[in-house]
Amino acid sequence: MYHRGDLQERQGTDNLLVMKAENQLTFLQGCLEGAPIFVGYFPTAMAFGLVCRDLGLRIWEAVLFSVTNFAGSGQFLAASLMRSGSILLEIFISVLLVNLRYSFMGAELSRKLEKGIGGIARVLLAHGTTDEVFSVAVLHRLPITKPYLAGLELTAYLGWVSGTAVGFLVGMVLPSALQMAVGVTLYAMFSSLLAQEFRQKGLNVLIIALISASLNSFLTLALKWGVGYSFVLSMLTASFLGAWFITEEEHTA
Amino acid sequence: MNTQLPFIIPILVSALATFLVRILPYYVTFLDRLPPFLSRSLRLLPIAALGPLIFPGVILDFPNRWYAGLVAVMVSSLIAYRRNGMIIPILSSILVTYLLLL
Repeated sequence: MYHRGDLQERQGTDNLLVMKAENQLTFLQGCLEGAPIFVGYFPTAMAFGLVCRDLGLRIWEAVLFSVTNFAGSGQFLAASLMRSGSILLEIFISVLLVNLRYSFMGAELSRKLEKGIGGIARVLLAHGTTDEVFSVAVLHRLPITKPYLAGLELTAYLGWVSGTAVGFLVGMVLPSALQMAVGVTLYAMFSSLLAQEFRQKGLNVLIIALISASLNSFLTLALKWGVGYSFVLSMLTASFLGAWFITEEEHTA
Repeated sequence: MNTQLPFIIPILVSALATFLVRILPYYVTFLDRLPPFLSRSLRLLPIAALGPLIFPGVILDFPNRWYAGLVAVMVSSLIAYRRNGMIIPILSSILVTYLLLL
């Protein structure tokens, strides 16, 4: 329970529409706000289902993948490492690093979440943290309630899991001539993400990606490193360099 | 396919890594007190990941026509830059690759 005074103060500053409708965020509102996320996740998850089929997974394995991971870029990365025959430690470290941002989102979410949520409910709510869920949930000034967050996450989750299954099934009826071309899905997905990041955040995005791409090409082709370790080193180096030169620019600006 | 393990093992390893980073902030608080340089670097990780996820794989995966994947990602990047959403860029790049591999 939160302190009454604190709650009233928060509500006073909250969006008027939300205020009129409800004093508390409900399960239904969570589902409604999750609907656009469902629509966005479904096709991306379909692409993941296609990738899984291309990789040789069975449908229940593809669905299990999405059920247990529920993480777009992490899953695509894991799939890509599985394809290159990486060892488990490489997969573990790489996925951990790519998904590390969820720790920061969770830290922010847990501050705004109503108190007294523990045990299995807390574990399930933590499992539902994604970029999109986070950005929708933290927009509220009201304390985030358990039913609201459950509704939001469940809707997004259903979009992701059902999309994976549908994508896999679509892959099964694709003409065989198209099957070869489907191998490009992963790269198309990553380059689309990169293009959208570039549009939102500017040239620094391209520079960082260029550094990590060049380093990775050098390590795997010239030095014959394993794909997983090479990936981790390239990613870390480019992140540190990026954090360093981005401040430099802010100082001069 | 050079994976000797059944697929379920790497799937669950990946799930474990993902779950750990999700549950961590609910039990520790040091994440709010990281040095600024470190926390900036960590926030850049997903962007830095995209480079090595595309190169050199996109060229090596199509040994007969090395440019097929390259042209396809250029098409998908251009479309994704102009509009939101993933499905149209992805479908376009599959089509381009298909035509180039004919």
